[in-house]
Amino acid sequence: MSASALQHSKRRRSFGRQLVLWGGLVFFVVWSLFPIYWMLVTALKTNLAIYRDASLWPAQPVLEQFSKALFQTNFLMYLRNSLTVTIVVTVLAMIIGVPAAYAISRLSFRGRSLMARSVVITYLVPASVLFIPLFQVLSELGLIDRLEGLVVAYLIFTVPFSAWMMMGYMLDIPVELDEAALVDGCNRLQSLIYIMLPLVLPALAVVALFAFTNSWNEFLYAMVFIGRDSQKTFTVGLIGLARGDTFPWGVMMAAALMGSIPPVLIYIVSQKWVVSGLSAGAVKG
Amino acid sequence: MAGSESSATVSPRELGEAPAQWMLATRRVLGRDWASAWLFLLPALIVLVGLIAYPFFAAILLSFQNKLVGRPGVWVGLDNYANFLFGNTPTGQQFRSSVVVSFVYTFAAIAAKFVLGMLAALLLNEKFPGRMFFRALIFVPWAIPSIISAFTWQWMYAGSKYGLFNMILVKTGIAPEMVQWLANPKLALWSSVVAVVWAGMPFWAMMFLAGMQAIPAELYEAASIDGASVIQRFRHVTLPGLDNVIAITFMMSTIWTANSLTFVYVLTGGGPGNATMIFPMLTYQLGIATQQLGRGATVPLMFMPFFLIMIYFLTKRMLATQR
Repeated sequence: MSASALQHSKRRRSFGRQLVLWGGLVFFVVWSLFPIYWMLVTALKTNLAIYRDASLWPAQPVLEQFSKALFQTNFLMYLRNSLTVTIVVTVLAMIIGVPAAYAISRLSFRGRSLMARSVVITYLVPASVLFIPLFQVLSELGLIDRLEGLVVAYLIFTVPFSAWMMMGYMLDIPVELDEAALVDGCNRLQSLIYIMLPLVLPALAVVALFAFTNSWNEFLYAMVFIGRDSQKTFTVGLIGLARGDTFPWGVMMAAALMGSIPPVLIYIVSQKWVVSGLSAGAVKG
Repeated sequence: MAGSESSATVSPRELGEAPAQWMLATRRVLGRDWASAWLFLLPALIVLVGLIAYPFFAAILLSFQNKLVGRPGVWVGLDNYANFLFGNTPTGQQFRSSVVVSFVYTFAAIAAKFVLGMLAALLLNEKFPGRMFFRALIFVPWAIPSIISAFTWQWMYAGSKYGLFNMILVKTGIAPEMVQWLANPKLALWSSVVAVVWAGMPFWAMMFLAGMQAIPAELYEAASIDGASVIQRFRHVTLPGLDNVIAITFMMSTIWTANSLTFVYVLTGGGPGNATMIFPMLTYQLGIATQQLGRGATVPLMFMPFFLIMIYFLTKRMLATQR
């Protein structure tokens, strides 16, 4: 093959490559974003525009669906409940999960590997097996229809997850650092707080964001354990909005957009860490 | 903290210099840090045992009972299991049909997430201007709460002229009449699968992409020099390099997909008929909606052997990544 022919075929191949690449990207972007676009379009239309002359964009964008969702339904209260539960759960999960991770990754005791295994196994136990017996347990404790009950239930997935993630990060910190602290007279709790925590602070933030997002998005436990309107989180509250109106979709989509803001914002701001955190367990090594 | 060794506070190390005989003995048996370790683990242990292990065994106990909400349970041995496996009762038939539906649903969703996730990761692993931006865009559905994704898809599937898909079909003249995406028993399961794949695909793409970036570039260069085509490089470098990621993602996503009912609950409620009655939905129907706690608890337990096998292998692999 002559030099110019080789170059020609190379150029053609690179053109083909570009075509596949950009064609594929356009497909995936449309596939990923169109439903979100449709959510936004619906939320910006009047009921008349939604149900009479359907179109792919809002002829005259209005915010009335948002104000309806916020001020004519209980959605704001649901959001507040979600926020309360989520913040309390996130803090508790850190307080419970971090010392556990420290013990498993740092301390020497019999049962250590059993505990490591238990953390992973409990993280993987599916919620579908647990929600019926939990319903019974929470009923007996008088925690059904109460945000406190939801906080308790959300520890089920946040605590093993936080402990597991933190174990991974703590194992990356050189042992010499906290051994040195012990020689200097710190006890284990002091060494965790003053030596370990500052070193894993970025990881702690990532784990907290995950715990926050997962609790914010949770639906099954909230639906099964909460029936009283005043205690509903927004994920269950949405069900009521959908069923309570003849033409609910404008308000629904406005509410849905607002409910998506916290996790999507968290994701956008911390995208790099989220992706690395998510795959940390599977990819390393 | 320099010089604290001579201070009045007693450090663990100093304690370790002249410990009592019994302390040495307990340490030999329970490990050097047993006391602080179990103190640190206590709160987590309460959660693991009280909120996960105990309910799990309570579910097994419930499955041997005929128990309605608010009434004492009646011990019935293996009746619930026998009813589901062989019983010529409505619930027995419902369960057996849900086995088929659950397998089809899970298998189709996982296969599609695998293929689409792999394609997206391969694209995003290429070098091109703005790739961080494209990554961010393609992963957005992962951050949307699944209940919201489910409602959005229900709205797009609406079976009248204001539903997005029907609007497009009618306006472009592709279909003469409205398609009942969720009310047609032949379509409902596949419509649900598409929505679930939409929400779940980014997780796979993220995992694959992270895995691809951990494959050394030299391997690709060596393969190129040996004259390997794009497809050969994928088969002999990318896929083997991803085996651990694929195994972990496959098992995790299978457990989550099979056991989650959010999409089906919103889109179809298990209907029409029992066309989309996956087993977590049946669990909810029996255990909560009709308050038969015993029967409801039995349903997911009958699928547990599959998940226990996966959890066993998954735990091994996940722990191995932290060594």
